Amino acid sequence: MAVEAKSLSTPIHGVDDEEAELREQLMFDPRPREELNRMVMESMVHTTPRYWAVVAFLAVVVLVCLFGAWGYMIATGIGLAGVRKPVYWGVFIVTFVFWIGISHAGTFVSAILRVFKAEFRRPFTRAAELMTTFGLAAGALYPLIHLGRVWVFYWMIPYPNARWLWPNFRSPLVWDFLAITTYLLSSTIYLYLPLIPDLAMARDRTKGWRHAVYKALALGWRGTEAEWARLRKAITIFAFAIIPVMFSVHTIVSWDFAVSQTPVWNSTIFGPYFIVGAILSGVSAVVTILVILRATLKHMDYFIRKEHLDALGKLLLVFSMAWAYFFFNDYLVSWYGGYEAVRKVLFFHSSGPDAWIWWSMIVFNVVIPWLTLWNRRIRRTPWVMLIITLLINVGMYFERYTIVPMTLAHQRFPFDWGTYVPRIEIIISIGTLALFILLYMLASRFIPMVPVWEVREGQEAHMIRQIGKARVPTVSELE
Amino acid sequence: MPRDIVHLALFKEEQLNEAAEAIQVLREMGISDHEISVISGAPLQEKMLGRPMTWTRIPLIGISGALVGFLTALFFNFGTPLLYPIRVGGMAFQTIPTSFVTIFELTMLGLLISTFIGVFVETISPSYGPQGYDERISDGYIGVLFSAPAELDARMHEALTALGAEIVHRAEAKKLWLF
Repeated sequence: MAVEAKSLSTPIHGVDDEEAELREQLMFDPRPREELNRMVMESMVHTTPRYWAVVAFLAVVVLVCLFGAWGYMIATGIGLAGVRKPVYWGVFIVTFVFWIGISHAGTFVSAILRVFKAEFRRPFTRAAELMTTFGLAAGALYPLIHLGRVWVFYWMIPYPNARWLWPNFRSPLVWDFLAITTYLLSSTIYLYLPLIPDLAMARDRTKGWRHAVYKALALGWRGTEAEWARLRKAITIFAFAIIPVMFSVHTIVSWDFAVSQTPVWNSTIFGPYFIVGAILSGVSAVVTILVILRATLKHMDYFIRKEHLDALGKLLLVFSMAWAYFFFNDYLVSWYGGYEAVRKVLFFHSSGPDAWIWWSMIVFNVVIPWLTLWNRRIRRTPWVMLIITLLINVGMYFERYTIVPMTLAHQRFPFDWGTYVPRIEIIISIGTLALFILLYMLASRFIPMVPVWEVREGQEAHMIRQIGKARVPTVSELE
Repeated sequence: MPRDIVHLALFKEEQLNEAAEAIQVLREMGISDHEISVISGAPLQEKMLGRPMTWTRIPLIGISGALVGFLTALFFNFGTPLLYPIRVGGMAFQTIPTSFVTIFELTMLGLLISTFIGVFVETISPSYGPQGYDERISDGYIGVLFSAPAELDARMHEALTALGAEIVHRAEAKKLWLF
């Protein structure tokens, strides 16, 4: 078959509608590497007084709501929280599960899409990876906060006490510690490795303290064949290895509940159900962040385009359906079993005093995505996607709230039923949300938010082939 | 014996074919592959430039780390209960199903951390090829670094400039990291 291939790396004379449409895609709208570097550097150093005002506000919120409230709780006692018999796991655990879920986005977007060579991932892998790292950092605080007596946190670390008694490695709480530590370390490294060439690029373009920091972090990168080869090899190992780690982390979080004898929690499907929910909430958060980055960072509208929101919107629709499938599967089998305590809890979820939370979860996680995300125009409208993805994350938070305190409040014996009203937990949770946003905003000034070399590599790989009378976009295998 | 001078031939990013040809020309002048190094702002497969495959110990280091993690997990699961045995009625003293979780996590932790350590150590280790750098590399330029005896200067200059290269004679190694 006779084919003719041409790159779109140079402007084409007589651009027709078809090519103009192609140029709406980042991979078919290349710019010289020097210009891409300049755009990314400008997005990092260009700040406005409004940016610093927001940073200062968030810093105050973190100080007051997170460290202030937490410090007050440590000094006064865990009684400041709303947890009491029968609900000993409240918003701290809900928020912990929420942040660990959010952290799945980076690995999903970066590792799974990398393994499957999904080209649209290229400009926003770093934004997603950063979310993983900061989401985990926020989530990892909660086991400490939930401890109450945080000064004995080191009891979680696997080492023997004075009598050579070790922690119980059969406990899901120890599994949690190991899984979160593994995931936090590996996702931080996975963020750092592809960053090295971009740090070297930043090193070559900066002076003063920025230059010193980038120089130290770039590890003397020159871009030799050996350096690229080992980077490629390491990224490949990470991409394949971090996927099962990601699955294990949220599965283990789900086992915190599922290995108990508590009605509704004791479910064999909790592992995959939690993972699908985590990916749904994580990918939603990625879209939220991309829309905000696109609107606030200079030149980001070149890198983050409607095509990316479109692609992620389709993924969201698929994961919303998958979440609904697992939810229904779990619900139906539990309900059908006819075990009275289980049916009572399920009935309490959907018709008790907090039933609005359960119904909101259904609306935000299923009804809204299904009614909207099938539409291409909606998927390509940033402000609508912002609202939808924020609502999905509210829905996912409600899902965890339903699973944890709403379930515990209505267990086997009626004399043991109770209500849960979160108190200082709300303030501390707001503090960690502010911490996440603050870390992200600060990172956007120091870390190149777009992996320039990956984008450029992708643009080099994309060509137009003339097959018969049709011009077809194609991708060469350069990786 | 005086050391050969290191030169850097810079090609623009769209001149990949010319860079590959330049490497062939240098080879024909008698400069061996280990005296040539290519630096670039984006990854280039060795076969694109007709270069020998680069070898790395990263997978080996990663597997070694995974083994260390695996053995640590075995000790945690099956060794630590023996150090201070507490036998609980109705519960097995050693269990295999629950040990899979710890074994998996620590094996993966060992694999991933040692892979990173491998990258770190190999990156900061001294390399023996021709040194030299130019900031334009991160702007997409392809640099062909090579060391050549002085008597080849004129021929090399003529051949490479004909291919469109910008040549930096006496390219110097720059201090790009802390040490």
